[in-house]
Amino acid sequence: MIACRSCGAQFDAALVRCPYCGTAYAPAEENEYMGQLEDIRTDLESADIEGYKAPEQHYKMGAPHSDDMRQYDTAYTDTRRRVIGSALRTCGLAKRAAILVVLIIAAIIMSVISSMNYADPDPDAEVRRDSERNAAAYAQEAEAYLQRGEYTEYMSYLYAHELQNCPPSEFDHLKSVTYVASEYYDCIKYMEVIILRSDDPDYFDGLDTDIGIFVRGVDEFYEVYEVQRESKQGRDYIACMDEMKTELEAAMRTYFDMDEDELREFLSTSEAQKGVILEEVLRHE
Amino acid sequence: MNKPGIAKVRIAKVRIAKVILNILIVIAALVCLAMLADMMGSFKYANREVEDPAETGMMVFEYDLEHRAYGEIVNGWYVDRMSSMEAPAGLEPTYLVAEYAHTAFMSRVYEETGDAEAMAANSARREDLRNSLGDYGYTADEVDDMIINAP
Repeated sequence: MIACRSCGAQFDAALVRCPYCGTAYAPAEENEYMGQLEDIRTDLESADIEGYKAPEQHYKMGAPHSDDMRQYDTAYTDTRRRVIGSALRTCGLAKRAAILVVLIIAAIIMSVISSMNYADPDPDAEVRRDSERNAAAYAQEAEAYLQRGEYTEYMSYLYAHELQNCPPSEFDHLKSVTYVASEYYDCIKYMEVIILRSDDPDYFDGLDTDIGIFVRGVDEFYEVYEVQRESKQGRDYIACMDEMKTELEAAMRTYFDMDEDELREFLSTSEAQKGVILEEVLRHE
Repeated sequence: MNKPGIAKVRIAKVRIAKVILNILIVIAALVCLAMLADMMGSFKYANREVEDPAETGMMVFEYDLEHRAYGEIVNGWYVDRMSSMEAPAGLEPTYLVAEYAHTAFMSRVYEETGDAEAMAANSARREDLRNSLGDYGYTADEVDDMIINAP
């Protein structure tokens, strides 16, 4: 019985490795190795192969070549140690790492599929591409709306073609008038909503909210109008801007029952005061 | 004398690495399960039944008409026209009624400004729309009534 050099357990000296931890026992391994070589030599001799010379002159079991054999044995043992050491180092780790990588890749793939399924297609993307392709024709069409004095239609046309921000260069000269038209559009829209609201007492009455949005829109219209009318870009469309202002004021006089002086006074008040005045007029208070 | 020690240290390191990898594998597996559930949900979302906008739009339109809420109809028209100047299939009546309301509103504005050209064009368009309203012809009278009596 000998003690294992690695784990210290006792085992039979004839065993080539420790049965508990697997550490190689060099003397027993050497004996086994030598025995295998002897078996090979015996087999070759008994096979009587032509040209084969028994290695008696070069190799004799025992003393003369024992140094060579020890050298071979040392190399064998070193290799074996390296192989076992390497196996110990990576034993199960590579497998686990592979599983981890597969799981991460699977999670990424599933995440990408989920994102693709949840992403709704952008319905305006094709419209924007179309507008970029046909910018010149659309600019011409938009100008026709301006020439006819159809300002709400002009803005609707720009919105429908995603051109309200005038990105293509063909719309550069229309920027100023578009800013004013955008405010005019909001004012007219909310005036229509207010005037044509339901008179059914059971229907939700959003008058306060609509009045709030409208009065803010009116103030913004005048701010934008003053700035854009003086801008270089707006020079060619001053008539359009003035017409929008005239129509908006006419609409306010008509539908809010105001004369010119009352309208001027109304426009000079704050947003909150405008809201109160409009509510009084519209609710007949 | 050192070799057993080195082997033990190496084994201990391997064991720690295995434990860490096992923990990471469990976490990755849980993430995978969550992603799988999310992916199944995403397939459901992608294959969900989308309600017919025309059907819904007409239901809302009929409800608004019932309550003479032409302001809401006009508001919806302005919103829809931001996507398309032409009425979507099945929603033609909403565009006709709303546009009629718009022309009726503008008619008083043009009267006030005295713009004869705009007034004539607007009147012609208004008449065309009135003639196109069909079963919804009564809405033109209701809108005219609201416009005339405003404020």
